[in-house]
Amino acid sequence: MRHVRPLATRLFPAAAALAAALVLAGCAPATTAPESGNDAGPPVAGGTLVYASGDAEPSCLDPHVGGNYPQALVASQYLETLYTKDAAGTLVPWLAEDSTVSADGLTRTVKIRPGITFTDGTPLDAEAVKANFEHLLDPATASSTGYLALGKIKSMKALDDATLELKLKTPDNALLESFAMPWVAIQSPLALKRSQAENCAAPVGTGPFKVASWKKQDAVNLVRNEDYVQPVATPGHEGAAYLDGITWRFIPEAATRYAALQAGEVHVIDNAQPDTIAAATKLQTIKHLDAPRPGASNRIELNSSKAPFNDAAVREAFIHAVNVNASVDSLFFGTAPRSYSPLSSAEPLAYSAESLFAYDPAKAGELLDAAGWSERDSEGYRTKDGERLSLTFPVSTSQSIPAEQSLFEQMQATAKESGFEIKINLLDLSSWYGELFTNDYNLVSAPYTKVGPSVLAVLFHSDSTIPAPSGYFANLSQVKDPKLDELLDSAGSTQDEAERKELYAQAQKLVLEGHYLLPLYNQQNHFLYAGKLQNVGATTAVATPTFFDAWLAK
Amino acid sequence: MSIDKQDLSPGDPVLAPHPARRPAPGTGGLRALAARLPLLLASAVLAFFVLAAMLPGLLAPYDPLAINPADAFSAPGGGHLLGTDESGRDIYSRIIHGARPSLLIGAAATAIGLGLALVLGTVAGFGGRWLDFGVGRILEVLFALPGLLLALVFIALAGPGVGTTVVAVGLTTAPGYARMIRAQVIALRTSPMVEAATVLGRSRAKILGIHILPNALAPIAVLGTLGLGQAVVWAASLSFLGLGAPPPAPEWGAMLSAGRTYLALAWWMTFFPGLAIVLVAAASTVLSRALKAAGAR
Repeated sequence: MRHVRPLATRLFPAAAALAAALVLAGCAPATTAPESGNDAGPPVAGGTLVYASGDAEPSCLDPHVGGNYPQALVASQYLETLYTKDAAGTLVPWLAEDSTVSADGLTRTVKIRPGITFTDGTPLDAEAVKANFEHLLDPATASSTGYLALGKIKSMKALDDATLELKLKTPDNALLESFAMPWVAIQSPLALKRSQAENCAAPVGTGPFKVASWKKQDAVNLVRNEDYVQPVATPGHEGAAYLDGITWRFIPEAATRYAALQAGEVHVIDNAQPDTIAAATKLQTIKHLDAPRPGASNRIELNSSKAPFNDAAVREAFIHAVNVNASVDSLFFGTAPRSYSPLSSAEPLAYSAESLFAYDPAKAGELLDAAGWSERDSEGYRTKDGERLSLTFPVSTSQSIPAEQSLFEQMQATAKESGFEIKINLLDLSSWYGELFTNDYNLVSAPYTKVGPSVLAVLFHSDSTIPAPSGYFANLSQVKDPKLDELLDSAGSTQDEAERKELYAQAQKLVLEGHYLLPLYNQQNHFLYAGKLQNVGATTAVATPTFFDAWLAK
Repeated sequence: MSIDKQDLSPGDPVLAPHPARRPAPGTGGLRALAARLPLLLASAVLAFFVLAAMLPGLLAPYDPLAINPADAFSAPGGGHLLGTDESGRDIYSRIIHGARPSLLIGAAATAIGLGLALVLGTVAGFGGRWLDFGVGRILEVLFALPGLLLALVFIALAGPGVGTTVVAVGLTTAPGYARMIRAQVIALRTSPMVEAATVLGRSRAKILGIHILPNALAPIAVLGTLGLGQAVVWAASLSFLGLGAPPPAPEWGAMLSAGRTYLALAWWMTFFPGLAIVLVAAASTVLSRALKAAGAR
């Protein structure tokens, strides 16, 4: 997200890495809470919604390719998924009708909903879904997010029009949650046969809108799908969407974006900044949608693979040396409640341990003294054997909003009192990946969005310390704990929901008590919209808003 | 070869101050003072910031790095003369402490730019036709690229940081100076004094060292003062883009950049660092004009 500094100081296999780690870019609970109590009268059809995104313009509108959050935001308007989450956050079938799994967990059968047609006229059937999965798993597609989500599929077969059978390499109880992500959304198999460039420019799906045109560097124009059939009836309306279309613009500068909303040039903005939200919520004319993304919380990982954080006591000392709460309170204006969990609050299985994260410089001092960091140099930093207690902290300016960068600066100032030196390096995305590839970091903050608690395996399983072909690895704290691996493996394959919950809780407890990470808050996902726009609030499983029920009051 | 830049040759009658613009003698101190007011103000501003750069502790009431989240976004007045930023740091103290990096970057960059320009300009102006041609083409290529772009390319290659910023701004400003110095050297080379020295059999090195360079330096002082203000602006621009000193260093451009996010909430975070940049740039312009006028008198 946000203000990308346009300089690539080093050239890394950036493209692939970019895709891989933009998975890291985030998501939340799904769906609908159309707000009540507005007296705008009965819904009226017509009008074009203007949406202004603060994210970088995607290079491809097909979220199979790469797979980052900006793609998910726009694709949620024209593509739909096999599963989704309802307003209560429960996983429900959408384009799929039902799914069952064999006793050994190795065969999953997916029933496809009949009577659905893509906007190019192709019917949705099991073969179509199979073609989508093949597209995702084809290396030529260069899918990153979707590819990982379907990684356990060994083979697939359409038994009949409505039945798809998947053979798995190992049991995967997160597969249905993966099906709910826009990066695994279902597109017309006919359209997928076009060249990648063509499909990127105008993917064809089953959603309430379709891509009419895309003027690069300007806007994506979506028009209403007149023949839309909602797979499952929702409390809203039936038939086609109210809006004639959506103009999807890109305005990277936060202040400009907000000014455009105030001036009435646009109706919805994303990536709203904390101070702006605080100001806007005082106005009658602008409304706020807070949709925390699912998956991981926003957190700082402590790199345990190298000194000084290879010593657990130093990790613990660091966590007690920084005062996160004071910064969150002053910088986020109450828009971001503090998290004490590796998982987003949108995840039902999130486990919190607030007591581990108290600001306690005295305790930090004791721990550091005991760990041998007892001397101080002329600048007040602690030393051990002549080495300064220094931490390198590469920060991606495109993934950390200004308020978060300020929070890091405040951490830098408070940690100094306990004798830690933090060197913040503000970097553009590709340089930032470079620092991670070369293990040149002690602290790092990387968002990761996924539906369900299986994100824990992505972030903390020792397998995730091995870089993907793109060079990216997600286990940035570099935890390698056989006991944790075992917990995550069992949690990922059990078919007993209670056991799954218990195992994931234990795994979260282990990483929190091992002081491998410092949770900050949910991945922020705030939208501001004009008061005349009604019935906003429905989101997908990854917390991207959908505008099927939305309408513009005169 | 003809003199192609007359405006900078010392003693040129064209440049002599117009009599009418001189304050008439004996018309009272008030008018004289009014005429000198800009210069006095400019000197005062620069003196203030130079003092801030040398002894920031003397002028700044707070530690520029000390945070106090509870006191964030305080408006100017009260305990904080110019307000506080998003971390509760005192803006006034940060501007004072920011004077050193900002002025140092400006001064060092100007020195590099002028130094480089002196070599190139002298070589071009005094080295003969072919050298002049070669250097001229190089300068034209550099001129063809927008200055800031040149600086950005250099930073992209060398990596961000204070040192890089200094060199980048220096490199970017060098071509302009080099042109002027070349013109200056050519003007002097054909002056009667150099002709006389040549007739007397002085070596070229001596002529360059004794007659040309010393005489070329006076206008360079003017250029340098003017350039200082410009270099401060450039350095601030690069810091604004996040390419200067890393956080939490108080640097004017970086402060300006941090403040723009909160423009609606805390205008003082942007306004005062911006004001500091404008003051230094304006003051050095006024001062350089005064120097130029004095040199011409």
